[in-house]
Amino acid sequence: MKQINKLKKEYDDIEIPSELDQMVKQSIQRAKASKKKHTPLKQWSIGVAAAAALFIGSVNVSPTLAQSMANVPVLGAIVEVITVQTLTMDKETYQAELKTPAISGLEDKGLQASLNEKYIEENKELFKQFKADVADMEEVGAGHIGIDTGYEVKTDTDRLLSIARYEVNTVGSSSTTMKYDTIDKQNNILITLPSLFKDDSYIEVISSYIAGEMKQQMADNEDISYFAFEGSDLDFQAIHSDQNFYITADHKLVISFDKYEVAPGYMGVVTFEIPSAILGDVLVSDTYIQ
Amino acid sequence: MTKNEKFGLVERFLLDNKNAHYRIAYSYVKNKENALDIVQDAIFKALQSIDRLGEIKYLKTWFYRILVNTSIDFIRKHQRVTVMDNEILDGYLPQSEDDPTDMDLNDAIDALTPDEKSLIILRFFEDLKIEEVAAVLGENVNTTKTKLYRTLKKLRVEIGEGI
Repeated sequence: MKQINKLKKEYDDIEIPSELDQMVKQSIQRAKASKKKHTPLKQWSIGVAAAAALFIGSVNVSPTLAQSMANVPVLGAIVEVITVQTLTMDKETYQAELKTPAISGLEDKGLQASLNEKYIEENKELFKQFKADVADMEEVGAGHIGIDTGYEVKTDTDRLLSIARYEVNTVGSSSTTMKYDTIDKQNNILITLPSLFKDDSYIEVISSYIAGEMKQQMADNEDISYFAFEGSDLDFQAIHSDQNFYITADHKLVISFDKYEVAPGYMGVVTFEIPSAILGDVLVSDTYIQ
Repeated sequence: MTKNEKFGLVERFLLDNKNAHYRIAYSYVKNKENALDIVQDAIFKALQSIDRLGEIKYLKTWFYRILVNTSIDFIRKHQRVTVMDNEILDGYLPQSEDDPTDMDLNDAIDALTPDEKSLIILRFFEDLKIEEVAAVLGENVNTTKTKLYRTLKKLRVEIGEGI
């Protein structure tokens, strides 16, 4: 044992090179950097994507399954709008994540297919554009650009389904555009803004309400501001005849403006809920808006 | 414990015990550059596979296992260049002033197989418990005990009681 102890002393006296400390720290940094490239989150999302693919696949293949899923309370909403496709790019300074919604379970397959096709085409086009932008950027050197699209189900009742799709473009600062689709599930109609009203007079009614509301909000709260000419007159004149809108679960019309459309960037996307009372005279019927 | 906390603990452990880790690697390869390479490699492997470390209390044995395996792998890959007959070597070396019996033991340890070396380093130099040695080497406690006795017998070391 004495001999072993002597060897142990020799072992303890093994000289530690001065580089060791630096080397250990560097190795840890290197491992950290490479670890980031495949985080467990990604593996997790692959699993979810696989499950979603299987789910979408079976819903599409079997109308019976889709039907029975739609009747399960929680799954009902899922069957109606699901992410069908995600396009991503993840390079150091170029980030893209495009989520495409897909509607299923509508009785009118033609309407459903044309909406789904539109969603896919839009995102494909955006991704193509983004890749072209990245190529341009790379030619002139480097830069940061990003695009992020996705969707949100605004309303989902027995009758109505409103989907909001957003597109966030990041080039230094970001701009956001929103697009909405509102569907009458029972009659299988894609609802447009003009179709809700008897004639064009709705533009005037809604515009004057919004202008008043903007002034009111600015007067009430200093933090709120909308584009205005010479400090007093609003830049905002009127909504477009096909202005973005959706309908809430309690049958209210909501008008939406993109970031920068009517207000400074910090206000983001702004929406106005229009009181149904002022629309009464111009509405075709009170089926959707009450 | 979050993943970041775990990573932080492992990082701390690697920094705090770097000298011990270097000595272990050095004992296998007897060469500064190679020992540094092995430690570097082991750290990298460990942090890459940090998810396989189940409970933090196994941190030490888990990392020692990676370190020992990395060292042994290194020796296997570079075996051809390290072997030199002792009698020839003695002819080149200056006469040692040391007690001849100690020199013999040191030589004898160098002559052990890498696995036998691991037993001696971990149990006697690093003062691991026999259970810990077994965990590092991935064997059960009795097998480890038997191997350790056999190795000591080979070294002709009197150890008395209590491995």
